Amino acid sequence: MTAPVQTPSSAPTTARSVTPGTSPNSAAAQVRLVAGREVSTRIRDKGFLIGSAVLILLILGMLVFQVVINSGGPDPRIGVVGGDAAVGQALQAQGEGLGTDVDVVDYDDEAAARSAVAAEEVDAALLGPAGAQPELVLLRGDPQLEALVQSAVQGLSVSDQLTAAGVQLQPAPQVDVVTLAADSEDNTEATIVALVGVVLLYSLLILFGQFVAQGVVEEKSSRVVELLLATMKPWQLLAGKIIGLGLLGLAQMLVIAVVGVVGALAFDVVELPGQLIGTVLTVVAWFVVGYAFYASVFAAAASLVSRQEDLGSVITPASIVLVIGFVIAIQAAQDPSSTLATVTSYIPGLSPMVMPVRQAAGDAALWEVGLAVVLMVLAIAVVVRIGGRVYAGALLRTGGKVTFREALKAER
Amino acid sequence: MLEFDGLHKAYGSNQVLQGVGFSVAPGQMFGFCGSNGAGKTTTMRIAMGLARADAGEVRWDGRPVDEEVRRRIGYMPEERGLYPKMEVGEQLTYFARLHGMAAGPAARAAVEWADRLGLGERRAERLEKLSLGNQQRVQLAAALVSEPDVLILDEPFSGLDPVGVDSLAEALLEQCRRGVPVVFSSHQLDLVERLCDAVGILARGRIVASGTVPELRAAGAGRQLRVVVPQAPHGWAAELPGVRVVSEQRGDTVLELLPGTDDQQVLAAALATGPVTHFAWREPTLVELFRGAVTATPAEVAA
Repeated sequence: MTAPVQTPSSAPTTARSVTPGTSPNSAAAQVRLVAGREVSTRIRDKGFLIGSAVLILLILGMLVFQVVINSGGPDPRIGVVGGDAAVGQALQAQGEGLGTDVDVVDYDDEAAARSAVAAEEVDAALLGPAGAQPELVLLRGDPQLEALVQSAVQGLSVSDQLTAAGVQLQPAPQVDVVTLAADSEDNTEATIVALVGVVLLYSLLILFGQFVAQGVVEEKSSRVVELLLATMKPWQLLAGKIIGLGLLGLAQMLVIAVVGVVGALAFDVVELPGQLIGTVLTVVAWFVVGYAFYASVFAAAASLVSRQEDLGSVITPASIVLVIGFVIAIQAAQDPSSTLATVTSYIPGLSPMVMPVRQAAGDAALWEVGLAVVLMVLAIAVVVRIGGRVYAGALLRTGGKVTFREALKAER
Repeated sequence: MLEFDGLHKAYGSNQVLQGVGFSVAPGQMFGFCGSNGAGKTTTMRIAMGLARADAGEVRWDGRPVDEEVRRRIGYMPEERGLYPKMEVGEQLTYFARLHGMAAGPAARAAVEWADRLGLGERRAERLEKLSLGNQQRVQLAAALVSEPDVLILDEPFSGLDPVGVDSLAEALLEQCRRGVPVVFSSHQLDLVERLCDAVGILARGRIVASGTVPELRAAGAGRQLRVVVPQAPHGWAAELPGVRVVSEQRGDTVLELLPGTDDQQVLAAALATGPVTHFAWREPTLVELFRGAVTATPAEVAA
C-alpha cells in the first residue's frame, strides 16, 4: 500500500455517530440486493448473451423451416394460347384439387408464349387446348404440372364431347368432410407447439438450475459467503439468488415466447392463434413452477461442495430426473393418453414437462391440471424447507464434501 | 463498549473456547494474540454470527449483537473472500449497500475508499485481475466502506509488505480516532505492541492475560535486571540472596529478583567484581510476555 491514508474531511469525531445514508435494511431489501446483483452480473455475461441470442435464432429458424415445408414451392403460372375461359377455369379447378392456386395468363400467339416460358415468366404454356393436338411447353420436365394440365385438358375434352352428344352434365356433388376425433387437427398443432415449448422449458431449467448451482459454489469457494452471512441470513441469500436468476429466466422465456408467437402469426404458420397463445402461456406457467422446484434442489445440492469440480457429482441426480421428464414428455406428445404420460403428469418434478403436452393434446381435464399443480406446489414447499436447512447448514463448512445428513444436523 | 462475555464453544469433544471474555472501549485498538488454534478466529466468528456460542454472548452498547448491529460492524474474515469476477468498484458498492447504505452514498463511498487505499485506477477491473496485495486492500475497503461503528479484523496484516502494513495501520488508527473500537488478531506481536492500547492473550480457550502493555508488564512474573560486569568471574551472582540467574554470558548477566530483594545490594555485589558497564531493569517485550503467559501455569491445562 503505497498511498498514505488521508484523514477524510467528513470523518465524524464522536463515537457511534450515524453515517449519512445508512439505515438498517429489511429482510426484503437484502433479498432485493442479492437478486439485483445476480441479474446485473448475469446480464453482462457474454456467454449468457450469446446463449440467449442462439436460442432466439433457433426459434426463428424453426419458424422459417415450417414456412418452407408448408408452402412447398410457389404457385404455378400457366400461359394459355387459344381456347376460351373454360380452359383457365378447368386448370384452376384442377389446381385447387391438388392444393395449389394456378395463375392463368393468356397469350395471343405461340411465339409470345414460348418466349415467356424461356424467360421463366410462366412455368408452362399450353398451346391449342381445344384442338386435336394440344401442346404443353415447359423449360424442363415437371411431372406434377404435366399431370395437372393433362387432367384439365382431359376433363375439358370429355365434357365437350358429352355436350356435343347432347348430354347435360349436373355439377358433381361436393363431399362433406367429417373427422371422428373432434378437432384432432388443431390439437396436433397445439401438441407440436407444446413440444417445442417443453424443449425450451427443459433447456432453460437445466441452464438456470446450473446458474444457481454455480453461483452457490462460487460464493462458497471464494469464501465471500462469510462476508455475506455477516449481513444477512442464509435464506435471504438463497431467496435472492433464486428470485434474481428466476426473473432473468422468466424474462428469457417470455422474450422467446413473444418472438415465437409473433413470428408464427407473421409467417402464418399456425391456424388457430388463440390456441397457440394458450399453449405458450401454459408452458410459461409450468416453467415458473418447475424452476422454483429445481432451483431449490440445485442450490441445496450445490451447497454441499466447495469446488466447481465437485458440482457435477451432487447435481447429477436432479439433472437425471429432468432428463427423464423430458423423455417422457416427448413420448407423451405421440401418445398423450398412455398410462406412463398420465401417471407422470402428476409426479412433482416430472409434471412441468409432461403436463403441458397432455394439456395441449386436450387430454387433461381441468381437475387433473389442478391436482398436478397442487402436488407440485406442495413439493416446492417441502424442497424449500429442507433445501433451505441443508443450504444454511452446509454453507460455512468449506473444504471437502458435506453429506446431506451432516448439513441437516449442522448448527453453526 | 464492545464486550465479549464468557464465550464457550466446543466442536465435538474439542473445547475451543472455555469462557473467553474481554471488552473494548470506543476508540480503543485491541490486539488479540494467541497461538495457532487458540480460538481467536472462533471468537471473532461468534461475534459475526458465523458460529454459535454454546454459552456466553457478545454485546455492543449493552445489547447483544444481533443482525442489525452486525450490519454496523466491518469484518475481515481470516479466509479472505470476495467475488472474483466482479469489478472492484461494483463490489465495494454492493457491500456498502448490504450494510444498509442507500445506492447513491454507497457508490460515493466505494469511490472514496478505493481512492484512499490506492485502488482508484483499478476500480473498473475484476478482482481476479488484481495482485494478491491489491486484493487484500479491496478486502479491507469492503470492511471499511460502510463507515462501520465497530471493526473486527482477523489477521488483517498477514500477507502485507512493510509499506502495506504501515498504510493499513494508519487506516486503523484513523478509525480509532473516529471513536470506533477496533479488534484485530495478529501473530506479529511487535505490531500489536506498537499499535494497540490493549492486548488480550488467548491460550487454551481462555484469555490468560489482558490489559494495556504496561499493565501486562507490571503483572508479568518477576521483573528482570540486566547487569554487565566484564571482569566478573562466572557465577558471580549465583550466591546472592533472592536472586535467580536467568542467563550469563561473559559477564552479561540477566537476573530475576524475587519480591523484596533490594536491587541496590545487587549493584553493590556487581561493583565488588570490578567495573559495571550496564545496570538496568529490562522491559520484557510482548513476545516474552506472550511466551510467559502461554506456557505458564501447566496446572491450568490439567484442570
